Amino acid sequence: MSAEDTLLYLDGVSVSFDGFRALNNLSLTMMPGEMRAIIGPNGAGKTTMMDVITGKTRPDHGTILFEGETDLTKLREASIANLGIGRKFQRPTVFEPHSVWDNLELALKAPRSPLKTLTYAISREDRARIEDILDITRLSPKRDRLAGSLSHGEKQWLEIGMLLAQDPKLLLVDEPVAGMTDAETEQTARLLCDIAGKHSVIVVEHDMSFVRALGVKVTVLAEGSVLAEGSLDSVSANQQVIDVYLGR
Amino acid sequence: MLTRFFLMGLDRKAGLVLTVLALLAVLVPVMTLIVPEGSPWHVSIFTVSLLGKYLCFALLALALDLVWGYVGILSLGHAAFFALGGYAMGMYLMRQIGPRGVYGNPILPDFMVFLNWKELPWYWLGFDHFWFAAIMVLVVPGALAFAFGWFAFRSRVTGVYLSIITQALTFALLLAFFRNDMGFGGNNGLTDFKEILGYDIQAPGTRVGLFLATIAALALSYMIASGIIASKLGKVLVAVRDTESRVRFLGYNTESYKLFAWTLSACMAGVAGALYVPQVGIINPSEFAPASSIEAVIWVAVGGRGTLAGAILGAVLVNFGKSYFTGALPEFWLFALGGLFVLVTLFLPKGLLGLWAQLTARLPNAKGPNAKGKNAPNGNTADQKGM
Amino acid sequence: MRRALRWLMAACVAIATTSAALAADLRPLVQTMGSGGYSGTEKALNQLSDAGDPAAVPVIEALQAGDLYVRKADGLVVIARKVGAGYALTDPLSGAALGEAAAGAIDRIKVNNAMRRAISAALGALTLMSPDPAVRRSAADAVFKSRDANALDALNTALAKEKDERIRRAMEQARAAVILTAGASDADTQAAVATLAGRGDRDALALLSMIAASGASDTAKTAAAAAVATVEQKLMFWGALQNLWYGLSLGSVLLLAAIGLAVTFGVMGVINMAHGEMVMIGAYTTFLVQQGLRTYAPGLTDLSVLLALPAAFLVSGGVGVIIERSVIRWLYGRPLETLLATWGLSLVLQQAVRSLFGPTNREVSAPSWMSGAFELGGLTITYGRLWIVVFAFAVFAALLVALKRTWFGLSIRAVTQNRPMANAMGIRTARVDALTFGLGSGIAGLAGVALSQIDNVSPNLGQSYIIDSFMVVVFGGVGNLWGTLVGALALGSLNKFLEPYAGAVLGKILVLIFIILFIQRRPRGLFALKGRAVEA
Ligand SMILES: Nc1ncnc2c1ncn2[C@@H]1O[C@H](COP(=O)(O)OP(=O)(O)OP(=O)(O)O)[C@@H](O)[C@H]1O
Ligand SMILES: [Mg+2]
Repeated sequence: MSAEDTLLYLDGVSVSFDGFRALNNLSLTMMPGEMRAIIGPNGAGKTTMMDVITGKTRPDHGTILFEGETDLTKLREASIANLGIGRKFQRPTVFEPHSVWDNLELALKAPRSPLKTLTYAISREDRARIEDILDITRLSPKRDRLAGSLSHGEKQWLEIGMLLAQDPKLLLVDEPVAGMTDAETEQTARLLCDIAGKHSVIVVEHDMSFVRALGVKVTVLAEGSVLAEGSLDSVSANQQVIDVYLGR
Repeated sequence: MLTRFFLMGLDRKAGLVLTVLALLAVLVPVMTLIVPEGSPWHVSIFTVSLLGKYLCFALLALALDLVWGYVGILSLGHAAFFALGGYAMGMYLMRQIGPRGVYGNPILPDFMVFLNWKELPWYWLGFDHFWFAAIMVLVVPGALAFAFGWFAFRSRVTGVYLSIITQALTFALLLAFFRNDMGFGGNNGLTDFKEILGYDIQAPGTRVGLFLATIAALALSYMIASGIIASKLGKVLVAVRDTESRVRFLGYNTESYKLFAWTLSACMAGVAGALYVPQVGIINPSEFAPASSIEAVIWVAVGGRGTLAGAILGAVLVNFGKSYFTGALPEFWLFALGGLFVLVTLFLPKGLLGLWAQLTARLPNAKGPNAKGKNAPNGNTADQKGM
Repeated sequence: MRRALRWLMAACVAIATTSAALAADLRPLVQTMGSGGYSGTEKALNQLSDAGDPAAVPVIEALQAGDLYVRKADGLVVIARKVGAGYALTDPLSGAALGEAAAGAIDRIKVNNAMRRAISAALGALTLMSPDPAVRRSAADAVFKSRDANALDALNTALAKEKDERIRRAMEQARAAVILTAGASDADTQAAVATLAGRGDRDALALLSMIAASGASDTAKTAAAAAVATVEQKLMFWGALQNLWYGLSLGSVLLLAAIGLAVTFGVMGVINMAHGEMVMIGAYTTFLVQQGLRTYAPGLTDLSVLLALPAAFLVSGGVGVIIERSVIRWLYGRPLETLLATWGLSLVLQQAVRSLFGPTNREVSAPSWMSGAFELGGLTITYGRLWIVVFAFAVFAALLVALKRTWFGLSIRAVTQNRPMANAMGIRTARVDALTFGLGSGIAGLAGVALSQIDNVSPNLGQSYIIDSFMVVVFGGVGNLWGTLVGALALGSLNKFLEPYAGAVLGKILVLIFIILFIQRRPRGLFALKGRAVEA
């Protein structure tokens, strides 16, 4: 398959740590506007894949192209983020000494150079956008609380909110519903589906009901490469997948 | 826009600091120059210079707090920037001596005549002009910091490693400035100054003038620093301090943010050094000693890291203690200083201001728990993670 | 070593007694020097020379210098040296003072040109054949320097008798120098050049280049020119080797200072700025042990350094354990605060030692087996340095074994890698922490024992090593003992190789700059650990 009209194109990507192969000849493509769920056993390399896309880890081999042309393996994290790739971490990481509002303000799409941030004054649109996100994530009442004092689930929401504020073309979401109630899980699924029209989303999750609720194409990762791909039903029927992951 | 920037930083704490500085700026000159000598309200010219020295240290502490408190860079080499600024000013003062030196050479400072030098080295050219020296006070420390930071931050040297190489930096400079052929007076440094901008450097009027200049520099630096902290840039800096990688994934080029704060801080330290030299009358290589840098760190820690006002408070208190003890109980001073390092890190991780905030927070009618001051010193463990 | 010393002393005693016996026989000969004009003096001189007694050397030297006189009053031959208006007289053989005399009361024994040669020859012969090997050796060296043709006969005679291999070589070299200066047959010249080339030091090089430029014959010139090239090469080789040795020596000092840090900082991740003070405490312990032995067991003073080793290890290690239990354990996971607190501790320790022992340097003397030097080819190696190199490697090896092969080492690694897990497996983590820190500090104490031999024992001793030690550990790669070893040796050698070109201070500055730049390239040092553990 050609890389031309893809949003994200991974081909033959391998990463090893001290001899251990975390990604093994991984290939994957994403179209603009597509949402994809990625599942797989612990240690399959899901988080590592996101690390490789966002520039945290440099692959040993392989090609990673964004929008069919930009080679992500050559760029640093900040440049990749500025291309329009946003990420939510598996362990929620927010800026704990800052208020919820400030966290969103920092994430909000705006010029990123030091001089621009030094002279930045929040505009009415920006304010409205943050209010919006606060509503979506239901953090409005806690807008002035320090992020460090939020509960685990609230931090998850805040990080999702930051991702929304960033307004990226591609969202990489690592285990968004860990620590959420069932109702919240459902709500998150809806939120992601809403986003999916305008943005591309890759979601990693172990929660099968959540993946089912998303109702999108699923890629199963095992031992650093793709084991199966297709609808959730078709992959759940796959004997190999059952052996390494679902059946356990 | 500039006014907005300064207003942004003006919270209650800033108001208090600026008021105290303004009071000093009014009271000290009056008590020195107008109140007659016999009066109990008279302040001697010696005390003025001593206070001026403390305030120079306070400015150094402020500069250090900007990078350590808000960006998490523990510099063990800030004295280097301080000393470089001091040398730049010292070079100007040396040139002002003119033919009044021991050897009466109108161009060459005494130590060069002594070393049998025939010509002024190229890097001394221009230092006979005050404006040139004043620019160099900013440029030399700034350029060194920029070059150093550019390499260090790009290659992501952080934490202890960064601290240790800043220490190596100042140590290398210490060794270099001890060398006679560097052309900075070697061991003895630069001293025996006569006048500054045409005024006799010993005259009470000049001394008071230097004191006022120090207050002005401190106040301005404070306003710049608190303006930055209150801006979005300041929020990015604090975020970098605690979770730098997360900030990168938001698209911020953290290296340039660090470089900005680091270079600005070095320039402030340079100004502090430049004001320090005419007030104490000498600059020599011992200012580069790693120990001086670390001592500056403890000033910040005592006052409260990441509070700006705490840095000023800590610098003044510790140096006051130093002056007192080295006079009264010289043996005791190093025990006291050493003990301070241990006790503050163990029992006062937030410094005096943090203690104050905790005490006031306990009072029933205080402004609610964790009064939401921006980056309040009584944050939480996240702060320590950044350490 | 000790045996050699005793032997030397015995030899000296023997010489002293024999020369006293012989001196009596020389007296009449000396007395005849004053009579019979030139020929009488010359005859007496020859007889003195033939007697072969080194006791006559001062007499002949005085004659050469024109200080030998006859006292008019009694005809006694004396040495007279001008003091104020008159002369101070001494006995030429015993050196005993004989009072003063006016200028008119004594007559100088005159010397003509023919006699001057005889005098040199006699002097050369007497010293070259002295029973004392050291005298013979320095006589040969003196001839090598003066290249006096008159000494040739004496040299030949002496060579025929000489048994000591090294002195023989020195004499042959002296002879070669004389031959080359004076000129000789082609075969002799070639042989002489070869001998000098074999000596191959700076003096030989200077002589050879001189001959190459203005030798007595063309053969001499070409042969010398060829030899100059080989000697230069050889000198460069030995020079490089000597630098390498200096580098190794400095490197092992750095290694000693850094190796304890490699445990506390490298393995435990604790930044101990008081590490230098642990070294200093070790040095002061050595001082105390030596003082104690001097007072209570003077016979054992030579062993004080050895006895100081366990003492310093225990004292520094004990202080380390106290520090860990009282301060550092509260600061785990906060490296920058640890740095500050331990810096404070270092100030306190320094001041405490200054108050106890005073601010001045304390003398720790070297035991006899650590003083002196020996030569190895073109290298000069002092025993002190040699022992320190050996000691540094021994400590390194011991530590390596302790960490890799013992249960204690295993617990250390377990605790540093995963504290809660180690705890859960029944390892008493607190105890392991304290002991590990104690181990690192104890090793610093051992370093102090060694450093007391080459550095001033003062309260600031540690300060001068702390930055270097951190540089070594950081350069080598934290958490890797081999990295520390390589780092120390590399930095030591780099320093010593830069020194000849840049001078000591500039060399050090260059090394610091090099490290600063290196850390930028490889923030984790030479041998970096990889993996998630590092990123945390
Ligand atoms: N920086 C690193 N250093 C060493 N090993 C690593 C590193 N990053 C990942 N690994 C290894 O790579 C493998 C894949 O890790 P990864 O975090 O990608 O798994 P995952 O699929 O996200 O698992 P989980 O579902 O538990 O989150 C693991 O075995 C992990 O130990
Ligand atoms: Mg994962």
